[in-house]
Amino acid sequence: MKVKAKVKGDVIKAKVLVKHDMLTYDQAKKKNTEANFITHISAKVGDKVVYDLSSSQFLSKNPLFKFSFKGAKAGDELEVSWVDLKGNSKSKKTKIK
Amino acid sequence: MKRREFLSFGAATLAIAPALLSAKDFRKEKPDVWTAKNVYEGDKPTEKGVEDAIKKLYGDVKPEEKGIKLKTPEVANNGGQIPIGIKSDIAAKTVAVFQDVNPESTVAVFTVPDGQPVDYLIKIKMKKTGTVTVILEGKDGKFYKASNHFKVALGGCEG
Repeated sequence: MKVKAKVKGDVIKAKVLVKHDMLTYDQAKKKNTEANFITHISAKVGDKVVYDLSSSQFLSKNPLFKFSFKGAKAGDELEVSWVDLKGNSKSKKTKIK
Repeated sequence: MKRREFLSFGAATLAIAPALLSAKDFRKEKPDVWTAKNVYEGDKPTEKGVEDAIKKLYGDVKPEEKGIKLKTPEVANNGGQIPIGIKSDIAAKTVAVFQDVNPESTVAVFTVPDGQPVDYLIKIKMKKTGTVTVILEGKDGKFYKASNHFKVALGGCEG
């Protein structure tokens, strides 16, 4: 997972790139395997959630997420976490620039 | 820090990252929103599936067509990687994204944390030319809507 967060004026702009096949049910059937895709991704600074997305099989493979948020500053740590249909999860922490 | 470590230790068996315990999970809260199926009339997509999904998520709402800037390409060259930009100045609770061509209608639901701006980009798959619809649930209890119809050059659900 690649996470970048930068202060821009009075918001912080974040960009997250996740490595995930995001296999739909149809795609999985063709490959004779099980569907699996990210079902939830969120980001927080300290204990404060700043981004929260419930998602489906229709997000792209290796999905890109961009969002803006307030209430943090350069040097604070942004933590992004996701969970997929099978229950795998990953987290990454990045310092806001 | 200690509490989070404790939670992650206990939650390891549930395979849920600690950050998510405080975030809303619409897949659990409203599971049938995610199974609402798109309805075709012959080979023409209709909005029936999208309307059904909206009803399941928000009830019988009448969204106003304003307040949302929905940015979509005029022609999506790669149906597997379609950028969808959503911007709004309205104080929002949730923002939901739908389309009318894939097997199911619902693409994503954002829960907007208190006071945070609506300024999102996601990339989605669409099987063919169709319409993306975004519904914003305002903190004022009102609903807003934007939709864009655009061409998809190469269908994106087969990989």
